[in-house]
Amino acid sequence: MATVDSRERGTAVAPQHDRPKGGVVDWLTTTDHKKIGILYLVSAVGFFLFSGLLSLVIRAELAAPGLQIVGHQEYNELFTMHGTGMVFFFVVPTAIGLGNYFVPLQIGAPDVAYPRLNAFTYWLYIAGGLITFSGFLTAGGAAAVGWTGYAPLSSNTFSPGAGVDLWIVGLLLSGVSGILGAINFMATIFGMRVPGMTMFRMPIFCWNILVTSGLILFTFPVLSAAFAMLYIDRQIGGFFFDPSAGGDPILWQHLFWFFGHPEVYIMILPFFGVVTEIIPVFSRKPVFGYSGFVFATLLIGGYSLSVWAHHMFTTGAVNNPFFAATSMIIAVPTGVKFFNWIATMWRGKISMQTPMLFSVGFLFMFLIGGITGVFLASPPIDYHVHDTYYVVAHFHYVLFGGSVFAIFAAFYYWIPKISGRLMNEGLGKLHFWLLIIGFNMTFFPMHVLGLNGMNRRIADYSSASGFQPLNILATAGAGILALAVTVFLINFFVSMRKGEPAGDDPWGGYSLEWATTSPPPPHNFHRIPPVHSERPVFDDRANRGGAGAGGGPRGPGSG
Amino acid sequence: MSTKQRLILAAACVAAMLSACVPEPADVQGASVERLYTIFFIVAAVVFALVAGLITWSLVRYRAKPGDELPEQFDRNLKLELTWFAIPLATVVVLFVLSAGVLGEVNAESPDPSVIVNVEGYQWGWRFTYEGSGVEVIGDADDRPEIVLPVGRPLTFTLDSADVVHSFWVPRFLIKRDMVPGQQNSLSLTISDAGVYRGVCTEFCGLLHSKMNFVLRAVPPAQFESWLEEQRTIDGDG
Repeated sequence: MATVDSRERGTAVAPQHDRPKGGVVDWLTTTDHKKIGILYLVSAVGFFLFSGLLSLVIRAELAAPGLQIVGHQEYNELFTMHGTGMVFFFVVPTAIGLGNYFVPLQIGAPDVAYPRLNAFTYWLYIAGGLITFSGFLTAGGAAAVGWTGYAPLSSNTFSPGAGVDLWIVGLLLSGVSGILGAINFMATIFGMRVPGMTMFRMPIFCWNILVTSGLILFTFPVLSAAFAMLYIDRQIGGFFFDPSAGGDPILWQHLFWFFGHPEVYIMILPFFGVVTEIIPVFSRKPVFGYSGFVFATLLIGGYSLSVWAHHMFTTGAVNNPFFAATSMIIAVPTGVKFFNWIATMWRGKISMQTPMLFSVGFLFMFLIGGITGVFLASPPIDYHVHDTYYVVAHFHYVLFGGSVFAIFAAFYYWIPKISGRLMNEGLGKLHFWLLIIGFNMTFFPMHVLGLNGMNRRIADYSSASGFQPLNILATAGAGILALAVTVFLINFFVSMRKGEPAGDDPWGGYSLEWATTSPPPPHNFHRIPPVHSERPVFDDRANRGGAGAGGGPRGPGSG
Repeated sequence: MSTKQRLILAAACVAAMLSACVPEPADVQGASVERLYTIFFIVAAVVFALVAGLITWSLVRYRAKPGDELPEQFDRNLKLELTWFAIPLATVVVLFVLSAGVLGEVNAESPDPSVIVNVEGYQWGWRFTYEGSGVEVIGDADDRPEIVLPVGRPLTFTLDSADVVHSFWVPRFLIKRDMVPGQQNSLSLTISDAGVYRGVCTEFCGLLHSKMNFVLRAVPPAQFESWLEEQRTIDGDG
């Protein structure tokens, strides 16, 4: 098949050339998926840093019994906004940002299907984030109802004040943004793949963004409806969730978790995709069991809609055995992925540069988070550990050990494509080791604390409880985490100014983003190699022959 | 970064996990939970060792060296993939069956409880009413309530809330249940060991959630009867 020139494909592309490049107005009005992707990523990292600062205050407060730094109200605001910020304004938008930048590149498209809608979703997201966090500026403070906002605590009776209203409205906007973004991704993936790229030649990252988009489309409307109902209860005299007027607080939990558990997969599937891109390239082998990966992702996506009530085992209001069964079964496709990742590395030639290092960190940490998840799927064990620090440990192993490690892997892997400069490997390795040590120091002790009776969301614990030593360890670990993130930021800013030029393809990549320049031109490609397999750039390199036809990572420190 | 460091890391993780056990159960139902937890833990340790071991082995054995040729480009093996689909499936089926069995035990309601305590949670305190005797123990964040219950007798707690969702948990019982406004929940158990146990609210319930605690003193039945009599007298006098 002949090379395809993107300019001949007649897809509508916003007229970038009318505008001054790189100015403020350009960034505010851009419809280029790459610039929108960068806006998403920068904003998401901003929310990550802010929500991370909130967690440092939480850790400082918990280092000793008694209230030293903040009061009860402030503490409750801190953990509410930490969770809200990380889930809604960091992890999901990071996935959307990476998807925005790389899905069109990986499928050989000049942009997403609806570029203006794409810009709109970004501005909705940023407005939602700012509105949610603006609660801190109100007299009553930010929302202090937990990120789960359980009714009737979140009602006007028990949580008056504008903080909760701002929280609801901000999350509604971000929910709508997510729905529109999901439609855009699906239309792009279904409609704009370059000729030759069948669905089963598409990079796994795109598959995972597709399944994630499907989950968003199924669940965000439910969340948005729940928030609208809560808003009606608070402001227009409704009583959906008010038991004193015949409403049902358990209904809120159903609606919230019907969104909330698929949300966990919305936050991890894109990053399963990321490590599934990185591990084959750095093992110099194709991904093992491509169809198995796709099948497992589809299974996880489908099953994730049927497990929500394992968050409600202790309510006495749900069928525990049913939800225990579905929740345990969903561990199976995740297990399949682990074996496929291992088989991809098996008998490969593994280079441990930063993207691979963080991916390996992801494998180990997510393994622990996945295993503790099976404990939580067992109702009798959940009767003990539900709403304790064991759960806090579990979801940080999934979301930090899993998603955040993979996010950093993605940054080291793809920032060279976005910026044209490689990140510094030495600082990257320092970042990794600080991160994994700090992470385990912070969160591993929480398993033990939870098992021994430390309940979550408490501003204080008694000195007689014996919880202090492990809390000190966790707080010290959080300090190391802060240091690790600082090293990353230094690395980023130094590398963007002085980093080694990346070239088109610093890692010996497989997918189409490596066939264009770094950074790519406005319409993404001057030439797209023919697509005959799921590794078009690998095939292209082999066809062109020459020394090192198989490619392999070139970046700094590759010897 | 060497493979040795990674091995040490893996070993440290396993060692740390071994230290992570549930506290010694103080009730009969908790003992079932503990047995189940132990089985889960052993299975988890085996799975962790297997998977972490395979990852570590791959990283050590298949590290690229300068001048390496492209490795063999194999990418599928249906039999192998079906095998590693079946093994986790069989594992979770076994874990599910075990869980369902224990779930039946810990959910079983005492047909004829010797003491029924009606527990009502409110922001941020507890009202315990001993059914039949009219004895009431009330306390809040500033004045932690202390209740007394007999060892070796089937007990039932009925659980309700006056305002928001709370949750009733004595960590040493290894079981908890939520207190939902407008919904009557109950929890049946038999305390096996005498002692003084900490009880907490485990569902975030607003400002002073962290101070919504109580104390449960488990004593021999005779001692419980005399305590109850004493309380009744005090209540009657008051």
